[in-house]
Formats: sequence, structure tokens, C-alpha cells
Amino acid sequence: MIMISANGCSMIDQRMAFMESELPTFKEKNPQLEVVNELIHGQHPHLKGFYKNKNERVVCVKNMTPEDILLYATRLRNALGRKVVKLTTRHVTKHPSVQGTWTTDVKF
Amino acid sequence: MAHRRCLHSALLHGTALISLKKSPPLSIVNALTPKPNPVITTSNLEPSWFTPWFYVRHFSSRKSDDSENEAEMEDSSDVEEESDEMASDMVRDYSPGEKEAEAAAIGYKVVGPLQRSDRVFKDYEPVFAVVQIGSHQFKVSNGDSIFTERLKFCEVNDKLILNKVLLLGSPTQTIIGRPILPDAAVHAVVEEHALDAKVIIFKKKRRKNYRRTKGHRQELTKLRITYIQGIEKPEIKTDGKPLKAADKKPEKIAAIA
Repeated sequence: MIMISANGCSMIDQRMAFMESELPTFKEKNPQLEVVNELIHGQHPHLKGFYKNKNERVVCVKNMTPEDILLYATRLRNALGRKVVKLTTRHVTKHPSVQGTWTTDVKF
Repeated sequence: MAHRRCLHSALLHGTALISLKKSPPLSIVNALTPKPNPVITTSNLEPSWFTPWFYVRHFSSRKSDDSENEAEMEDSSDVEEESDEMASDMVRDYSPGEKEAEAAAIGYKVVGPLQRSDRVFKDYEPVFAVVQIGSHQFKVSNGDSIFTERLKFCEVNDKLILNKVLLLGSPTQTIIGRPILPDAAVHAVVEEHALDAKVIIFKKKRRKNYRRTKGHRQELTKLRITYIQGIEKPEIKTDGKPLKAADKKPEKIAAIA
């Protein structure tokens, strides 16, 4: 997963605080991620996460403290890129039966 | 009597002045803000440096007001402290022993991070287990995915061992625990920590002008089951046809002490 943190120039203090304090530790803890810092004018500061299934998740971090930004970055890192839908089942399996599916004819 | 009261109040203000110089907390400042009707007593004993400060006489009524205000402020500060303590408790650092104890209480154990060299994802084996995590029970087999409540002490790509196994089964054997099997274990890997889709909680009472909307996202952990141990696995792979119960060997029930 590649993560890009794109910063807008509107929140200068905020992004400087985050970049100085939290971003280096986040980079060290996740060497498998490619973290890129871009300055994009005219946009609010946001975090973009690119996942292996070609999914993109954007989180706007305008007016957030560095701790909150780190929390959202950690959440993006912890998640897979699957679409956020309501769960139908808590248990996903390809082989539902080991000893045979029960029918009314089965006798123990 | 008047002199004693004067001295007492003078002392109070003396301490207030000293504490003010050291940037006091809000409560003291609020309690000692200049009242609209400052009363100056005939205090010849007051030293000269008290004159710039307003002198407040503690009448019985005003004393109750002050005490009420102070009490309210103390209560609010206590509430704030409690909430701060609550918040700090939520985020507090657990010692390794506490972590293990809490994790064991829920029913799992963190082994360690997954290494690249580990070949954890094996082919399907026709063995299942009923495992309990927290208050939820799942019937799992090799290669299944499970969504549980957020597990606290594990990161993504961590190996877990689930201890609370209630039942083990294979095509030829079933082992039932009373209530758990002590020698059985289920190995799993943490796939992700994610948030569920948003659920909107809408409350309304009709004709009463009451309407509330609240959004909620549950934190979940996705586990991938990799290995089940504690039961003999059949050597030949099953074809996938449902086996009839008559072919099953007699059940072997493990009596747990």
C-alpha cells in the first residue's frame, strides 16, 4: 500500500506540526509503505491511501491535531482496500461443511 | 472579634496575592474577582501593600454564594479530572503481563509478527473447530475469515493463538470440550483492523418535537484461520462429497477433568 499525504497550503501550522512530529515516526514504523508529501494548492490537507486492489481512500484532515491525523493514518494503514459495506456474515468460508451437511435423512 | 475577622481575611488575601503571582488555577481567580460592592473595613492592622486589592468581607450570605461557586467549580474540576482519568484509562499503557492477562481473558494470545519466511497459508484440511473469542463463538476451518470485535493488543500481520476451543471435528472424529479443550489451539493471522459501515441511529418521538441522529461505526478485526491443532487429521483428502453418518467411526468424547 502506498500512502500519499497531500497537504494544502491553507493549514500551514497544522501540517508543519504533523510533518515534524508524527510523520517521521510513522514512516519508520511502516517501511513497507511509500509515503510521499505533496503540496497541492487550493485544496484542504488530506491523506490519500492507495491500496493493492487499486482502491483509493481519501481522508480530509483539515483542522485536526497531529494525534488525530496519526490516528487516521494508522486506520488507513490497518485497513484493506475493500469497499466499506455493511457485513452480511461475520464468518466467510469456502468449505462450510466437514462432516457433511445435515439433512432430514441423516441419522446418527 | 472584628480584629480576628480582619486578620483572617487579611491572611486570606495575602495568600491570594502570593498565589496570583504564580498564575493560579481558575477557581481561585474566579472566587476572588473584585465584587461590584467591595467593602472596606476599618482595618488599621492591614499593611500598605494590601490597599490596591479589593477587600471582600465575608458576610453570611456572600459566604454561601462564594462557597456555592467554589463548590460548583470544585465539582466541575472534579468531573473534568474524572473524565480526564477515564480518557487516560482508555489510552493507558498496559504492561506486558497485563496485556497477556487481558488477552487471555478474551481468549487469544499474541505470538508475534508474521515473518516473510512463514508458510502459514496451507491447503484446506477437512477439520473444523468451534472457537470462542470474547462472547462470540465461530465454527472455523482452515482458510476461513472471521470478523470479530477489535482486538486490542495485536497489529496487522500478527500471529495469534486462540485458546478457547469448545469443539474439534473431523470426518472421522469429534472431540467435545467441557467446556473447553485444554490441549487444542487454533492459529490465526490478523488481516486487518477496520471500521464497519456507518449505522445511523435515528430517534424520534412524534408530536413531541424530539429528534436525534447519531452515526456509529464499529471497529472490527478480520482474522484468517491458518491451522487447527489437537485432532488427528485424515491423511487422504476428502473428495468433497458429503459423508454419511453411518460411515463415521464411533465418537470419541474427551472427558475433561
